[in-house]
Amino acid sequence: MLENLFVGIADWLRSLLGGLGTPVEINEAIVMLVKLVAILVFILINALWLVYMERKVAAYMQARIGPNRVGPKGLLQTTADIGKLISKEIVIPGKADKVVFLLAPVLIFVPTLMVFAVIPFGKNMAAIDMNIGVFYLLAIASLSTLFFWMGGWASNSKYSLIGSMRVVAQMVSYELPLVLGLLGVIMIAGSLKMSDIIAAQEHTWFIFTQPIAFLIYFTAAVAETNRCPFDLVEGESEIIAGPYTEYGGMAFAMFFLAEYANIMVICAMATIMFLGGWHAPFGLDFIPSWVWFFLKMYALIFVVMQLRWTYPRIRVDQLMGFSWKVLVPLALANIFITGIGMKIYQAIGW
Amino acid sequence: MFGQGLIKGLQITWKEFWAKKFTVQYPEEQHPVPERFHGKFVLDVDKCIACGLCANACPNKVITIEKQKVGKKQYMTGYIMNIQYCLFCGLCVESCNKDALHYSKDFNMNQYFYRDIPLVLVKREAPAEPEEEEQPAAKAEARPKAKPQAKAEKPAEPAANSEVAAGKVPGKEGE
Amino acid sequence: MLRTQEYFLNFGPQHPSTHGVFQIILTLDGERIVKAEPVCGYLHRGIEKLAESRTYTQVIPYTDRMDYLAAMLQNLGYVQAVEKLMGIEVPERAEYLRIISGELSRLASHLLATGVYALDIGGFTGFLLCFRERERVMDLLEELTGSRMTLSYARIGGVADDAPEGWLDKVKKLMDDMPGYIDEYNGLITGNEIFQARTKFVGQLTPETAINYSLSGPVLRASGVNYDLRKVRPYGIYDRFDFEVPLGENGDCFDRFYCRVREMQQSVRIIQQAIEQIKEVDGPVIAKVPKVLKPPKSDVYHEIESAKGIIGYYVVSDGSNKPYRVHVRRPSFINLGYLDEMLRGYLIADVVAILGSIDIVLGEVDC
Repeated sequence: MLENLFVGIADWLRSLLGGLGTPVEINEAIVMLVKLVAILVFILINALWLVYMERKVAAYMQARIGPNRVGPKGLLQTTADIGKLISKEIVIPGKADKVVFLLAPVLIFVPTLMVFAVIPFGKNMAAIDMNIGVFYLLAIASLSTLFFWMGGWASNSKYSLIGSMRVVAQMVSYELPLVLGLLGVIMIAGSLKMSDIIAAQEHTWFIFTQPIAFLIYFTAAVAETNRCPFDLVEGESEIIAGPYTEYGGMAFAMFFLAEYANIMVICAMATIMFLGGWHAPFGLDFIPSWVWFFLKMYALIFVVMQLRWTYPRIRVDQLMGFSWKVLVPLALANIFITGIGMKIYQAIGW
Repeated sequence: MFGQGLIKGLQITWKEFWAKKFTVQYPEEQHPVPERFHGKFVLDVDKCIACGLCANACPNKVITIEKQKVGKKQYMTGYIMNIQYCLFCGLCVESCNKDALHYSKDFNMNQYFYRDIPLVLVKREAPAEPEEEEQPAAKAEARPKAKPQAKAEKPAEPAANSEVAAGKVPGKEGE
Repeated sequence: MLRTQEYFLNFGPQHPSTHGVFQIILTLDGERIVKAEPVCGYLHRGIEKLAESRTYTQVIPYTDRMDYLAAMLQNLGYVQAVEKLMGIEVPERAEYLRIISGELSRLASHLLATGVYALDIGGFTGFLLCFRERERVMDLLEELTGSRMTLSYARIGGVADDAPEGWLDKVKKLMDDMPGYIDEYNGLITGNEIFQARTKFVGQLTPETAINYSLSGPVLRASGVNYDLRKVRPYGIYDRFDFEVPLGENGDCFDRFYCRVREMQQSVRIIQQAIEQIKEVDGPVIAKVPKVLKPPKSDVYHEIESAKGIIGYYVVSDGSNKPYRVHVRRPSFINLGYLDEMLRGYLIADVVAILGSIDIVLGEVDC
């Protein structure tokens, strides 16, 4: 029952609409819309929850207990924060490019939300199971660079400018190892379709066949979301808040929430590509597939948070060096070895 | 080997994650205030002889003592500390020969209005006749009061002034 | 041909990592620093001038406000200067209490420096874990003196009060725990490869320049110059304790940081020895000094090893009960002098690393 909870809801909706006698195309469009809205709501609520989780994890690692005043165990803290931020004025700096300045925080969520359309949260639970799902995800996710740059450039502040230059440099150079890291998996799975990749991991998760690829992907993905130890973009102690320096109120919160939505994307992606997606480990099938998916995703999110609250920040030249001198060659070597391995397996007919 | 320090760091944060938390949840729990804490000042009016040593010892001229001659003795009519300038160094308490000025453990000295900040330890009127001199102190002793500094006598004061005289927050007047 | 242009960046005073209100006007070429102009004075309160209209005793609380992170050491420097001026003998027990509280202050200051340095580099957890122990140190100081940071504990001729019942045992307990904590910092901060990559060979100082610029404290010792006043010219009763002076090799940010960490270990050793020795010492904690201090007409310069470096007090007396002039040689201020040359050629991220490694406290820089 629980296993097919969400699929069941979609089917019920479809049959309900079928009874109305409207054309099938319109019915499908409505179901799709409902799915997308549901994902949207889910992501936004989850982003709020992740902010809370981050603060709790940080606090527990720092010998304190974190937010505990608003709501039970402080659960409503982020909601209250958002309430506060909404009520604040968005100050536009004097010589800022007003249109671009205001557009950036609005658009920052777009790529993140678009990406979620193809992520399968459970068995048959992708809104759209695209045949080039991985490609689509990577292509769309890399768009967010543009909006960081827009915000930083339009602010007309030096700190913002330095921050946004760092964003562009960092995101572009880490895009490469990210993609190359995933390439090994795609080669083995032989498909760009998410459901095919997950199906290929039914017996062995790709983290065991492609451990180096996982490390490369994870490092690059952490850098891609501007998280510590690669959080130079915000680099609080150096350039204050990078591209967001001049933003206040809800505009700032949008950037902030987008960051958490991005973490969710990379962790969901890592779950799909390396941790077997919604496959249950050790044959624990009685737990629904989407629960497994979220368990894996949250475990990874926890790791990302722990990294942030453990490591100091890397320097900008080291960041670039790490990407081009370590990750990219390593990823290329990994692809090479994977290719040879695949040929050998094919030759021995295993 | 490269990476050892990174793993060690993760181990430490993981350990700290489960360790006992150090913070105190302030309004519910309170950190014990040590005996010598430099908190709000308390003046034992009966012991004070209005000699002015504390006022002289103060580096910032925080203490103002008002006195009036009643008969042969000096009678203190006011002991006001401009607490906003106080450094809480303890020189005034040390200088007191009669052991009249003390610190209390009360660290909450914030006020809503600026005019309430000065800490009025004594504000009273001098007795008109020299022979009545002993009466106010006796009266103050007879009346049980929560705060020692509230012992200050305030016979014919306007209401607003008496709040300040007691050194209290206006909202706490009912206590 | 690409035409590039240098630009100015106001680093501070409203900046999260300037350790207070400090401004550096950076001339940048991209992210690289061409020139750095430190601007201080945002926290200037005129303490030296204020001291001229206070009696000798009344100056003590003002010295707290200079290096408020290690207030006892500031008190101590001033008080010892006046004692030198007047030739006052300090009781034995007071000397020990001064050492213990002074070293606790140094510990608190170094803990903060360690934690804040981790924060400057980007590791937030190291910062709060250091604060946890600093809190314990400050609780102890609070129990001894009544204040947490601005202690005003030293008095001319001794200390304000004897240690309360059971206080020494609590200090002993903290000192027993301290090595474990320091290991934790070493694991979390010092041993971290990213941290080392950020700080090693950054902002290097040769011993010659360090001496030429009159730098002192851990900044000087990190360059390999063995100059600790507690060893070289022991004041008080420092000659009775067995401790080492940690030295660095490269004179880079990492050495400056690590010097402080190792100095904490030495402070712990000193305090442990002092606690052992104070048990046999009894007696008054303050010498018999007149209520009104009127030193003879002369001047005196006395310097001690504070947490940030050598703090020197120059006190001139004109025979009245107020000092004619008090001048303070503030280590933070003098250590900042070489900042411009140190920063040149490094990146913006290194500004924070280098500035943090000098460990300034703005109350002292601006005085």
